[in-house]
Amino acid sequence: MDFDYNSLLAFIIFGITIGVVYGIVALGISLIYSGLDIVHFAHGEMYMFGAFFGLVLVQELSVPYPIALIGAMILTALFGMTVERVFYRRLTRGGGGYTVAGMGMIICGFGMSMTLVNVAYFIWGAEAEPFRANLDYIPRLSFPGDIEVPESYVLTAIISVALMAALHYFLRYTKTGLAVRAVAHNKDIAYLMGINVPLMISLIFGLACGLGAAAGVLIGPMQSVQVEMGYLMLMKAFAAAVVGGFGSLPGAILGGIMVGVFENLGAAYISASHKDIYAFLLLILVLIFKPSGLLGVEAKVKA
Amino acid sequence: MLQINDVHAGYGNLKILRGIDMHVPTGGIVTLLGGNGTGKSTLLKAVSGLIPLMEGKVLFDGVNISNMKPHERVRLGLVQVTQAKEAYPAMTVEENLMLGAYIRRDRTDIVADLERVYEMFPVLRERRKQMSGTLSGGEVQMLVMGRGIMAKPKMLMLDEPSAALAPKVVLEIFANINRIAKTGVTILVVEQNVRMALILAQYGYIIRDGVIMIEGKAEQLISDPAVKESFLGGSVADTSKALTN
Repeated sequence: MDFDYNSLLAFIIFGITIGVVYGIVALGISLIYSGLDIVHFAHGEMYMFGAFFGLVLVQELSVPYPIALIGAMILTALFGMTVERVFYRRLTRGGGGYTVAGMGMIICGFGMSMTLVNVAYFIWGAEAEPFRANLDYIPRLSFPGDIEVPESYVLTAIISVALMAALHYFLRYTKTGLAVRAVAHNKDIAYLMGINVPLMISLIFGLACGLGAAAGVLIGPMQSVQVEMGYLMLMKAFAAAVVGGFGSLPGAILGGIMVGVFENLGAAYISASHKDIYAFLLLILVLIFKPSGLLGVEAKVKA
Repeated sequence: MLQINDVHAGYGNLKILRGIDMHVPTGGIVTLLGGNGTGKSTLLKAVSGLIPLMEGKVLFDGVNISNMKPHERVRLGLVQVTQAKEAYPAMTVEENLMLGAYIRRDRTDIVADLERVYEMFPVLRERRKQMSGTLSGGEVQMLVMGRGIMAKPKMLMLDEPSAALAPKVVLEIFANINRIAKTGVTILVVEQNVRMALILAQYGYIIRDGVIMIEGKAEQLISDPAVKESFLGGSVADTSKALTN
């Protein structure tokens, strides 16, 4: 294959677009990790449920796509908060909260992941469902050198960036955002500030699940919606979170973009049939040379 | 203001407090003294609600708060000033202070109180955009005290405000505790610096192995040989004059 500068540019652009989606799922995983001290292994299923909620809203209830996106985010957030309250929170009752529940929580996350896949299978069946959304009002972007970016990719990039900006604003400049950061850093001190810590934990979980759902609705029109789609997304988002530095929110986005670009370049120039390997290759490389991740801090130490 | 009746508490099966009785009158300054591992911090956690009581009860302002969640107790006006190391290092000074006012809705009053805190601790105004992790030990102590004031408390509980500070800084911190008390806030100071704490407070309790060993008026305790025996004394010489101005 001759080296073609334009196609390289195209691969990078597509890599970034898909990468920001990995980034917003990774953002959710990082948010839960820094807020609740657990790695949420059922997060891929929140993404999958979000995609299905979006699909049902658009195709069966004929809701316009942007409203379906918001609707799916809210539904999934509520769904995630219910799962956390009913199942995960119970494990922390023995005392010590999320920080101590550790291993039990990981196993519970795996179990939840399998349960949710099967629940989705009962409801929607095993077939991949095409997600047809009317996106005609979104302009196609043309780059120099005849690179055309389809509507769904343009939309994905815009919405992902908007979501990240909104999250950043919320955490940095609102009173509730300040409380979320306080809970993430130390729950006991947050309590002493008069913060309703259990409520904030629900909020963090809901936010993270809502972000996952947004990714699902955005990816839907590019690929298709299927009950097992969460597994691979979890792995990629996980890789993104680790590459960027686990628990770091800007790191999650950077990691997502890197995984997306790396994967697209690998598929284009090495072998397309091994597309899903490159993310983990990147993960291994980062772990060898900078184990704390690109923007990560050294292991979190708590007094 | 605060009434602690026969409180037993600890962690898991480990009982640390074995029947504590204390009383902090409205508008007063009371000190709880004890060395490391005597149960001081456990008592503060039990009163704040971070750990459950095994027995006994805690009354605040006539209300039984024994089964309330920690954030509900803060809303009643019972505010704990954490140890200095427990400021949020990755937040700015001003964010830390605003976090103290988290429970309040009165925006204009909050701004006025922020101004009061900056007047009391001018160094915090200079550093308000700085991450609190970059402050010195004394500055962080001022920050956590300011954060406590921002909650507009009826009562402040201070957890070792003199810990790991230079004597001169300790003096300044204690003078400020006195100033806060003069604004009508009831104060409980948990300390290891016996002498300084007894000069500041009107009444003192001495805790050892989870029980109150000695209690009494501060001016009596300060010359009580039994108190001197329990400790090796404070690090600062006679500083009562410096405190009262």
